Amino acid sequence: MKRWFLVILFLFLAAILSSCGRSIPLEDLAISLILGVDLDEEDNLIISESSPVFNSEAKKKIETYELEAKTIRDSRRHFDALTPGAVTAGKIQVLLIGKRVLEHEDWFNVLDTIYRNPTFSVNSRIIVVDGPVSDVIHYEPEDKPQLPLFLKEVIDKNIDRSRTVLATPQSLHRQMYEKGMTPLISELKKGQDVEIVGVSLMDQYGKYVDTLGMQETSLLIILKDKQTEELTISIPLPELGDEGGIFNKNELSIDLSRIKSKVKTTYNQDKFHFNYKIHMTASIVEQLFTSGNVKENELEKMIEQELKSRFEGLIKKIQKNKIDPIGLGIYARAYQYEQYKKVEGHWGEALADSNIDVSVDVTIKSTGAIR
Amino acid sequence: MINKKNQITPMQFILLIHGVQMGVGVLTLPRELAQKAGTDGWIAIIICWFFSTLISLIIIQIMKKYPNGTILDLVTHYFGKWIGRASTIIFALYFAILTHVLFIREALFIQAWILPHTNILILILLLSIPSYLIVRKNISILARYSQFVYFMTLWAILIYLIPMKHAEWLHLLPVLKEGWVPIFTAVKTAILSFVGFEVAFFLYPYLQKKDKASLGIVVANTLSLLMYLMITIGAFAFFSPDEITIYNEPTIIILKVIEFEFIERLEIVFFSFYIFVISTTVLPLMFMTVFCTSQLAGRQDHSRHIAWFLLLECIFAVLFPPTFDNNFLLQKMIDQAGLILAFAFPICLWGYVWLHGLFKRRASK
Repeated sequence: MKRWFLVILFLFLAAILSSCGRSIPLEDLAISLILGVDLDEEDNLIISESSPVFNSEAKKKIETYELEAKTIRDSRRHFDALTPGAVTAGKIQVLLIGKRVLEHEDWFNVLDTIYRNPTFSVNSRIIVVDGPVSDVIHYEPEDKPQLPLFLKEVIDKNIDRSRTVLATPQSLHRQMYEKGMTPLISELKKGQDVEIVGVSLMDQYGKYVDTLGMQETSLLIILKDKQTEELTISIPLPELGDEGGIFNKNELSIDLSRIKSKVKTTYNQDKFHFNYKIHMTASIVEQLFTSGNVKENELEKMIEQELKSRFEGLIKKIQKNKIDPIGLGIYARAYQYEQYKKVEGHWGEALADSNIDVSVDVTIKSTGAIR
Repeated sequence: MINKKNQITPMQFILLIHGVQMGVGVLTLPRELAQKAGTDGWIAIIICWFFSTLISLIIIQIMKKYPNGTILDLVTHYFGKWIGRASTIIFALYFAILTHVLFIREALFIQAWILPHTNILILILLLSIPSYLIVRKNISILARYSQFVYFMTLWAILIYLIPMKHAEWLHLLPVLKEGWVPIFTAVKTAILSFVGFEVAFFLYPYLQKKDKASLGIVVANTLSLLMYLMITIGAFAFFSPDEITIYNEPTIIILKVIEFEFIERLEIVFFSFYIFVISTTVLPLMFMTVFCTSQLAGRQDHSRHIAWFLLLECIFAVLFPPTFDNNFLLQKMIDQAGLILAFAFPICLWGYVWLHGLFKRRASK
């Protein structure tokens, strides 16, 4: 009797182990790899998605849809109507946001479902598109891998070389809410090809303000003290006299390593003072002038001078726009809490009034294999 | 009642108590502390550790007076049969409600994070089976289970360190940004994460080497302190102080950024493992519940009680479909009881026992 009871109990329990009851074969899924958010000319929200096709009969290996919807989640209803597969959002690799979206202040709420729905990935790369998203999402280069993979690789490679920043839903969320910092997202443009431009800067409400080119982004990354594996900068040395001619004879490329940027934060005379001390070692990887007439310490001085003026130019640009992509507000909060608390609500303006000094110290480590 | 077979080693004693302390609370702890005291919340944890260790030592001091019985026997010994019975009922109720809250919460978390389309009743039913199998035997089985789970889930600490490359340690500065007042308000929240050491009242008589009890309970509290500190400080550095209060379970969100070539959404794997950690909270409490009820019924064997208890849980889930909201509401209530039972009760009892000893000595002179 007891044995039968156990057998029946076992069968009953085995029957309710049903967590995989809704299994779906891979070819019946439409796995969105790119999600695009954009506004059309009449400011209607346009959501687009692109997913690979797992079907030997289909000619194209990737399907792309674009449609008007109220929200991202609402768009899924329409996508389900369009594609043969069930649309899933868990694997989104790239999130494209049109620049038209960023020109409005309260756009960030559109992304709510990414944070609210636990199945969304928070590691996808967010990229701002200078121009319509549909140009990029319909781009099918013949000499490149599939677009989602291509975009992600391009972004990741440029992050490794400190030319653009890593922007994921997670980091964007942090930057949007952080009062002592304004958000920044990598930006691309579709011309002949799709190419990375640099980063777009936004104000504290998420509204687009300005774009930094790749070299400026590298400098910004040094100021943020977040450099990755490799950082190369090419600069002309105007002190070497001639304009350089056709072959840019005063051009110098240096590979910067062991970069240490220290900030000292003080507050007096009613404003914040940030004192940057940046140390770095440089190895020359390319130099188009003959080294005979320049001594090494003179060369160091020239590089320091050039970099310093570039840093100052970048800081001026930031202060003019009343934003803080560096995150100096975090330093201000950590070291001058009481003063920071007073200006927390409009930190960008406080930063614009503050005083930021940069001193650069370059040591040349090697001049390469030839003299 | 206590024979060689159901004794526990000092290591098991430590890990049982630590297991009861570490539970679901840690998932929400960083947010709760940040709401009260910003990024200074971690200081509150240290203050709470001090208090809970103090009370834990008092508990051991009390139990030394009656080393071969549990708190129920001790109360009966000092206050007579009826008060003993009453205290058994109180403990039984307290443990039963606490177990219920955590057991249902475990199912709710599994549903929210791992199996969103599965009926919660099925999850409760499936959780009941292993619970029954582990709890129906004596305390040493449970102790071995806690020990096993602790070492099995220890790697999770390493996983937690991976997202720290995104951390911004400047978030933690300045220390004491708003003074001590917010920290003391956070103490009230943080103290609840240490509740659980009161199971020592029941574990003490089963401990093999009684002289290790004080050391053991300090180690258990310290283990919990280190875990809480690591998780909270990690979360405070990872999230901006302005955003952390937005997330319900910041501890899990941190893990979402981990991404390997071969696996994505690691937080689901992690969370599945974390269910074991939660079970080391729920199962000892469940054991305490049926221990009290079987004591009340005058039975040695509690396996029938545990079956009844789990059946009641299922019936309860059918009648009142569990939601996070009413679960939290119930927890708020039981938290107050927990504070009284784990903090006020030992102090009062210790005072009484001490005075009692004093008068007795006088009288015998």
